[in-house]
Amino acid sequence: MLKALRKIVRTGRVTEAAPLDAGPRPSSLPGAADQLRGSVQIRQVDAGSCNGCEAEFAAAFGPVYDVERFGVRLVASPRHADALVVTGPVTRNMSVPLIKTFEATPGPKLVIALGDCARDCGVFAGGDGVAGSVADVVPVDLEIPGCPPAPDDIVAALRRVVGR
Amino acid sequence: MVGVALAVAAVATLAAMVSGVVLSARRRVVWVGLLTALCAAAGGVAAVGMLAGGATVTASFPDLFPLGGVGIEFDALSAIFVLATAVVALPAAIYGIGYSAHGPSSRPVQAAWPLLVWSVMMVPAAGNVTGLIAFWELMALSSLVLVLAEHHHNPEARTAAQWYAAMTHLSLLSIVLALAVLSSNAGGDSFAAIRADSGHIGPTAATVVFLLSLVGFGAKAGVVPLHVWLPRAHPEAPSHVSALMSGAMVALGVYGLVRVGWDLLGGGPTWWGAVVLAIGLVSAMFGILHALLSSDLKRLLAYSTTENMGLVFIGVGAAGLFAASGNRPLAAVALAASMLLVVNHAAFKALLFLGAGSILTATGTRDLDRLGGLGRRMPVTAATFAIGSLAIAALPPLNGFVSEWLLLQSLVHSLPSDAAVVAVAMPVAVAVVALTGGLAAATFVKAFGTAFLAMPRTVEADQAHESPRTMRIGLIALAAACVALALAPTALAAPLQRVSLAVRGLDDGRPIHTNGVYLQLSGIEAGLSPLLLATGLGVMMVAALAVVRRGRIRRTVRDIPAWGCGRTVQTARMEYTATSFAEPLQRVFDDVLHPDIDIDVDHHTESRHYIQAIRYRMHIRDGFEHRLYLPLLAVVRRWGDGARRIQNGSIHRYLAYSLITLIVVLVVSR
Repeated sequence: MLKALRKIVRTGRVTEAAPLDAGPRPSSLPGAADQLRGSVQIRQVDAGSCNGCEAEFAAAFGPVYDVERFGVRLVASPRHADALVVTGPVTRNMSVPLIKTFEATPGPKLVIALGDCARDCGVFAGGDGVAGSVADVVPVDLEIPGCPPAPDDIVAALRRVVGR
Repeated sequence: MVGVALAVAAVATLAAMVSGVVLSARRRVVWVGLLTALCAAAGGVAAVGMLAGGATVTASFPDLFPLGGVGIEFDALSAIFVLATAVVALPAAIYGIGYSAHGPSSRPVQAAWPLLVWSVMMVPAAGNVTGLIAFWELMALSSLVLVLAEHHHNPEARTAAQWYAAMTHLSLLSIVLALAVLSSNAGGDSFAAIRADSGHIGPTAATVVFLLSLVGFGAKAGVVPLHVWLPRAHPEAPSHVSALMSGAMVALGVYGLVRVGWDLLGGGPTWWGAVVLAIGLVSAMFGILHALLSSDLKRLLAYSTTENMGLVFIGVGAAGLFAASGNRPLAAVALAASMLLVVNHAAFKALLFLGAGSILTATGTRDLDRLGGLGRRMPVTAATFAIGSLAIAALPPLNGFVSEWLLLQSLVHSLPSDAAVVAVAMPVAVAVVALTGGLAAATFVKAFGTAFLAMPRTVEADQAHESPRTMRIGLIALAAACVALALAPTALAAPLQRVSLAVRGLDDGRPIHTNGVYLQLSGIEAGLSPLLLATGLGVMMVAALAVVRRGRIRRTVRDIPAWGCGRTVQTARMEYTATSFAEPLQRVFDDVLHPDIDIDVDHHTESRHYIQAIRYRMHIRDGFEHRLYLPLLAVVRRWGDGARRIQNGSIHRYLAYSLITLIVVLVVSR
């Protein structure tokens, strides 16, 4: 118990200080921040990723980057979600589940393509098991480039969506 | 009027039996059904006439039977059991027309069915020891024939019948002994004579009579540890027969116990009630645990009967305890609760057994793990089974709730001045009743959910179709009875008062007051209005629906399939089965149940890291059967083997036996 308390005191805060300005709001999402009013619930879908994007995405929710302080939360079901974050090229096996997840999400909803593979299939383009990019399967509202995108890029993009 | 109705019932039974023997197979089924229904209806009229204020009917037929002849004494206590029988038998007889058309339509079966209905109604109407024993044995034998009805294509029925025959005759033997001791000590055969003389029965004789009748009637009621025949015989009998056996015949065990222990003997020391209460507590827990874990639908219902009889025994035992410690008003409430539970149990258990019969005719199986999706294919069965499930789970606003509420009220309101055993037993009883209520809800969620909801698990379940019209009429009539008993238990307040007046050892004016819609217990600050409760629930449901409807008009609604984690195919193999639904609760009670679990894992031939097949087998043994009955049977078998040495087939030895016998006889009678 004492050991844990001492550790807490000695470590202090590890979270990066938030930049004052998150940058301009993306033009593809005109009213998103107004509708979301400072809070967005996200369901993440791995449509065939190498898990690099997942690692960085998870880091964005860790204690260092802590995107939750900007009102971004992960939820367990698309029924609870405002936005889907899709990673990876969409494989043939995952295209139907992705469409089902999209249908199961209540409107109004956003689809965010995370990483280069999600945008244009990256190095997997033309692969045998690849059905296409995320935009080929469901309508995409926002893209976050990078292979994989760095956690602070993810945080910045999500802050622009949520408007905080 | 009551006497005439009883006579009509007897004549209808005779006519039904004759038509069951002489008519052709197709017409036999119809006439037997209709005449049995008439018999049940006549019994119902007699019971209602009696409960509405008729005077006790007595009759005597001294030449009908050797010894004391058959006497009839039909009072309010008899009437409440005859009412329960009529509630079951009338719909069951009509249901039996459709059910027997596809199955048990042979002559012995069709002749035994009306006889069973009539004898179940006549056991409580018997007015002397000989009459009671005669009707009791008639009931036992006719039900035994009916348990064997389907033995041609179902060998299980034969073992079931053996167990049933052994247990029911153990019951008879014990009752005969009890009543013989009783009448020899009281100096009379008729109940009136015994009652008049009960003050002269010594405490030892009274205790012997009580214990023997507890064994005899307890075996019929199916309470622990004499329940072993129930989960065997009830599944194998035709469903309308199991409905009558489980709904009405089993309750006669309670009747006998109350009649002999409290009416004829006039009650006894405190420990009588405590013993009955303890048996009830163990039966209720044991029954519902095994019901929860059964995946055979009719076996589940049979175990649930043990549970419900346990609850009735709790009520009777509590009544005995209260009466012995001088709290007569509370004793009357407890007795009224158990009598109401008898009537309610008759209605919903018969309904559930008939529903199980419909499923059995439609799919050919009773195994819940092989059913599923029947709700859309058998809408009437599903709706009525749902009503029965709600009722048996004691959920408001259905009838099971009212009797369970009454029972709990009587247990909660024991006074601090009552005996110490009361102070200890009642909190335990309340806890057990509450726990069984919860487990019963889980059991019937399982039964209804796996049978009627989701996707069919087998081809048979997929191709199921609704039952013929006579069977649907039976189901709907019993569902209506459940609803009527739920909305208007106030109508039974006055009859229950008459019942408690009829039981000499427990009588106390008025257990329940009523002003039309409101049940008010006497001596307790508690009241309940089932009708207002149901109305309130109905209004709330309509209001909620109205709100949802209005919401629908304003917003756009998308119709999309249920979220299944994005899976592309859904098969019946992904569904919860009855076994898997009950598994978490089975783990909780592992220490009590000791299930045998076998897991076989077959590895792939090329690598042990890949698994080809996993087989999981779970079997829950009936602890009493395993530890009590099987050792007992082993001892009997060893004795039998010993006897074989005497009877070895050698004619010389038999001649020697005859010679020795002759010499012994000559010497003795010299």
